[in-house]
Amino acid sequence: MAEEFASAPHFVGARIPRTEDSRLLRGEAQYLDDIQIPNLLEMAFVRSPYAAARILSVDSSAAWNIPGVRAVFTFADMPFVLPQNGPSPIDQPVLARERVRHAGEAVVAVVAESRYIAEDACEAVHVAYTPEEPVLDMQAAQKDRPRRVHDAAPNVFYHQEYETEGFQAAFDTAPHRLTMTFQTTRQTACSLETRGIIAAADPFSGRMTVYCGTQSPHRLRGDLAEMLQMEEHLLRVIVPEVGGAFGMKAATYPEYLAVVQAARLLRQPVKWTADRVESFLSDVHARDDIHDLEVAFDQRGQIIAVKDHLMADGGAYASYPFSGAIGETSLAAKVITGPYDIAHLSTVIDCTYSNKVPLGAYRGVWGPVASFVQEGMVDRIAQFLHLDAAEVRRTNLVQPNQLPYRNAAGMLYDSGSFTESFEHALAQLDYTRWRATQEQARRVGKYLGIGLSNFVEPTAMASSEAGSIGYESCSVRVEPSGTVTAWLGLGPSGQGHETTMAQVLADQLGVDLEHIVVLHGDTDAAPLGGGTGGSRSGPLGGGAAMQAGRKMRERLDVYAAHMLEAAVEDIAWEHGRAHVRGVYARHVSLRDIARIAYNDVRQIPSGLPIGLEVTERYQPPRPVSFSNGTHAAVVEVNPSTGQVTVLDYVVVNDCGTLINPLIVEGQIHGGVAQGVGAALLESLVYDDSGQLLTTTLMDYLLPSAPLVPRMRIEHLVTPSDGALGVKGMGEGSLIASPAAIAGAVNDALSPWGVSFERLPIAPRDIVTSLGRSSAAPV
Amino acid sequence: MNEVPVTLWVNGQTYAVRVSPRKLLSDVIREDIGLTGTHVGCEHGVCGACTVWVDDRPTRSCLMFAIQAEGHAVTTIEALAQHGQLNVLQQALHEEHGLQCGFCTPGIVMTMEAYLHEHPNPTVDDIRDALSGNLCRCTGYQNIVAGVQKAARVFAQNSSGATSAAGNESTHLSEGGREYV
Amino acid sequence: MYTAPFDYRRAHDTQEVVTWLQEDPDNTKIIAGGHSLLPLMKLRLASVARLVDISQVAELQGIREDMGGLRIGAFTRHAQLAKDPAVREAAPLLASAAAVIGDMQVRNRGTIGGSLCHADPAADLPAALLALNAELVIAGPGTERRESLDAFFLAPFITTLAADEVLTAIVVPRMVPGAKSTYLKRPHPASGYPVIGVAAWVSVSGGRVEDCRIALTGIGPVPFRAARSEQVLTGRAFSREAIAEAAREAAGSGTLEDDEDGYKSQLCQVYVSRALGDIAQGAG
Repeated sequence: MAEEFASAPHFVGARIPRTEDSRLLRGEAQYLDDIQIPNLLEMAFVRSPYAAARILSVDSSAAWNIPGVRAVFTFADMPFVLPQNGPSPIDQPVLARERVRHAGEAVVAVVAESRYIAEDACEAVHVAYTPEEPVLDMQAAQKDRPRRVHDAAPNVFYHQEYETEGFQAAFDTAPHRLTMTFQTTRQTACSLETRGIIAAADPFSGRMTVYCGTQSPHRLRGDLAEMLQMEEHLLRVIVPEVGGAFGMKAATYPEYLAVVQAARLLRQPVKWTADRVESFLSDVHARDDIHDLEVAFDQRGQIIAVKDHLMADGGAYASYPFSGAIGETSLAAKVITGPYDIAHLSTVIDCTYSNKVPLGAYRGVWGPVASFVQEGMVDRIAQFLHLDAAEVRRTNLVQPNQLPYRNAAGMLYDSGSFTESFEHALAQLDYTRWRATQEQARRVGKYLGIGLSNFVEPTAMASSEAGSIGYESCSVRVEPSGTVTAWLGLGPSGQGHETTMAQVLADQLGVDLEHIVVLHGDTDAAPLGGGTGGSRSGPLGGGAAMQAGRKMRERLDVYAAHMLEAAVEDIAWEHGRAHVRGVYARHVSLRDIARIAYNDVRQIPSGLPIGLEVTERYQPPRPVSFSNGTHAAVVEVNPSTGQVTVLDYVVVNDCGTLINPLIVEGQIHGGVAQGVGAALLESLVYDDSGQLLTTTLMDYLLPSAPLVPRMRIEHLVTPSDGALGVKGMGEGSLIASPAAIAGAVNDALSPWGVSFERLPIAPRDIVTSLGRSSAAPV
Repeated sequence: MNEVPVTLWVNGQTYAVRVSPRKLLSDVIREDIGLTGTHVGCEHGVCGACTVWVDDRPTRSCLMFAIQAEGHAVTTIEALAQHGQLNVLQQALHEEHGLQCGFCTPGIVMTMEAYLHEHPNPTVDDIRDALSGNLCRCTGYQNIVAGVQKAARVFAQNSSGATSAAGNESTHLSEGGREYV
Repeated sequence: MYTAPFDYRRAHDTQEVVTWLQEDPDNTKIIAGGHSLLPLMKLRLASVARLVDISQVAELQGIREDMGGLRIGAFTRHAQLAKDPAVREAAPLLASAAAVIGDMQVRNRGTIGGSLCHADPAADLPAALLALNAELVIAGPGTERRESLDAFFLAPFITTLAADEVLTAIVVPRMVPGAKSTYLKRPHPASGYPVIGVAAWVSVSGGRVEDCRIALTGIGPVPFRAARSEQVLTGRAFSREAIAEAAREAAGSGTLEDDEDGYKSQLCQVYVSRALGDIAQGAG
């Protein structure tokens, strides 16, 4: 890859602490709710207390009478919708229109001088409902039972079938077959900063400025323009500091339209920030899948064919622009075989509406569930055949000589290190030693388990929750003083793009990091791009930065060659200074060049434009680039209390070229912690009437520091054929970790023959499954 | 609204504001005083993002009415970096990449800074336990722990010249604290 | 998520608190640490027209000797209890229970009186104080009465405290020679509340249990003494068998709610057994 660097890489690959940190550590960063605008009004919503009901009447007279209340809106006041989306034929109203379809759906919007007053006013609004029977079970919903969520459409809004040629014969003639059902409950991203938006007319231009912690600033601008029938050039979206997003903040939400429309109607700035209860009731949920699976294999554990019925409960509407139900299932169906060489596949997908919160994106969409299914299936085969779990994986892994490999669903794994990462993980973990320890421990009544999880991670895809823009963009300007400003279309939320993109540019331009500033998230400044999501920012944003940097560098080389009276090929750059290769005494600084480019333009070498500005867009050579790796976990399960303690955790990760290993490792740590949550803690629970019972962080359990294990990470580097050899890596750690933890728990419980096929696994589940017979060893 | 005068002492300065008694300390600090480094994450006393010091003790400002803070010294994240220079803990968190989106970071700094003053020589398990009232959704805590360890070592070196015993984070032990070999 | 408006008053002595409570007993609430009350007010589950702040009432503060025991002001914060030398010496069970409440921030605000009066079925201190045979000092209109903690908790969030009464102090007997105690809990992963908490106090003489008190919290509608477990142990050799039997009795206490699958009784058995085992091994 070295030829891709205009100069020897000093920065790409280095463990550089982030330039973002200082403002965050000092509490000076501005998140959405920190923005202070004069005369800012605040919005609050009256939300449906029912999962399904007809709205009979809305009486807001008492609310209007509260001092400080400025407006009370219903759908009639803002008759806008999020349009039908992909195969889903149903649009989603900004405020409920005649019917409510999930508990928490916004019915009335109140605008007041403060949020305190707005909430008082919400209490004073009286909405009369006739409750209807809620649709809560996805399998019944497939048969339109107990009824349709939307009169106008059947509950199944996405159905697809796929089968490899010769599947049935291969399946029928296989020596062994097993049936299993995997399930994950609803979970959600639960960023610590809730969602929010501010809309304020710009007093200078009359345009509308929208502040929103979105992952896709340009897409949000386009959506608002289209849905609210506004002119796109009269809208500006600014993304402030974002306190976590994880896919959840990629969607366009009804509240966003309500706030912008309210600001238009009231001609005054309006803000809405979700409180935590609202977050649980209105942020997109995720997962909530069932996989009915049959697997056929031979006596060595070689998997011959997999048959999977994938189901997802999509909630009341298909989240715009990305239905989590379709995402979770259709992508899962394409990579359900993971890094294993499985010839035959048959999948059926059914996504249904229900009277629950819409399902959208959460980090690793498809992956946490599919990996859990895929690895659970391998473990069940190992158990059935009394073979070692690692051995069965060796038998099935795609071998190096098979790469590039097209899987049974037709996805091309461009490159990878499947066998290598697996063997490295076993070595890092000291697998054989843990197996021996497990034996010894069992003899004294202690139950350890080892979980293994091999994963593939499709990254840098043309389409993701961030939208369907298959490229990313970067503008670079060398300022008249010789410092560098760059803009990208990304929408980061803690991934450190200001640092990593600067690293890429610094190497291209031969300047030092402190002379580069990277900006993003302002549609007035950043070139139009896709945003952040689907593990695309590193490979696509990095590619755009590299391409723009190189283009600028080519121009700078011409300047330097001209000024130093040397050939372009002989120019080398270091620390913002060009010299003739080998002759350090003959040099010219970037500042000197910039002065000519902007101020002494008659000296510009012929053929070059005035100024030093370029904008480049990078489209990767492939529609998808695969990262891979292996997670291995050791847990202890206390059979009498159900307590699970993670004793050791190893990650071997291969995401191609690392721009900044420190940041890559941080991403892995966070994903594994979320995986611990997914496997053991996090569950959105609905009762039989469709009420969400888990609406605070007291009830929806996030992993805290004592529960998250220390991780050991090893990097492998199999570069992609894209820019810099970089692959995406934001999601692999959450894709792999639930399977590793769950596998370890199941392995620990194997003496009881208990195996959990449903996540999360709570202590109570463990104790009750083991039965009263496992009385406490006193 | 029944607003009342409230006098607060925040970061060594006196602020006289008129607020409703129901206004939370977190909101008064953020909106009336304009110090927005204190964040509100869960509003329920779980996430710890809103942690400030009340009389030098880490306290959740979202579970306290501003009026209750009258007569007490309130310290927020903005007071920690003197003249814009990161303090030892902030610097260590930066070097160890102990933050990502940064939303939980001010609360974590306030909690752990106070903790290190009282417990200069913590073990890794102590640190994790002290962090249990602060949630982070991005980092998996590993680099936060590393940053706190590093800060503890710097404190120890600064105060005695000796190296702190806060060694590398060991493998987590089982409930009973017994290691299997 | 904000509370409804209310009137705020800061009290300066106990009688002032009582007077204000008397004026409007149904809508007046005392705020101490506020960590239980505020979340309820924010969800608008608790309606409060008048909030009485007792943090400036001197009589409710301080820890002092009282007839062979310790008199602990109701406004004593958990962090103070955990590190107060007198509490650690005279009632180590109370100090150790206070040290594991919630998290650092909760311990810095929460008070012993608030914990008792709120009567959350999953609070730590009630178990420790039940096992310590604590007595409550309660002020009413012109009166002061004493009540054993044993009968204080009536139902979740309901106590014998009248609407115009205020808890002023908790009196804890001093640890006797030969007695040992421990508090063991399984913290809830989010709140830090005990999923189960066991406070055990055992006095052993010549290898026999002279007297013991075992209290549980987190698993029943109110914190309670495991009376049958105590009976099983009292007068017996402090043996593995006796502990096992006491643990089984605790599991069958009959006050466990929502336990069709036996999970709570299972936890009960394990944690009572562990707590007593710790004491037997001298770890308590």
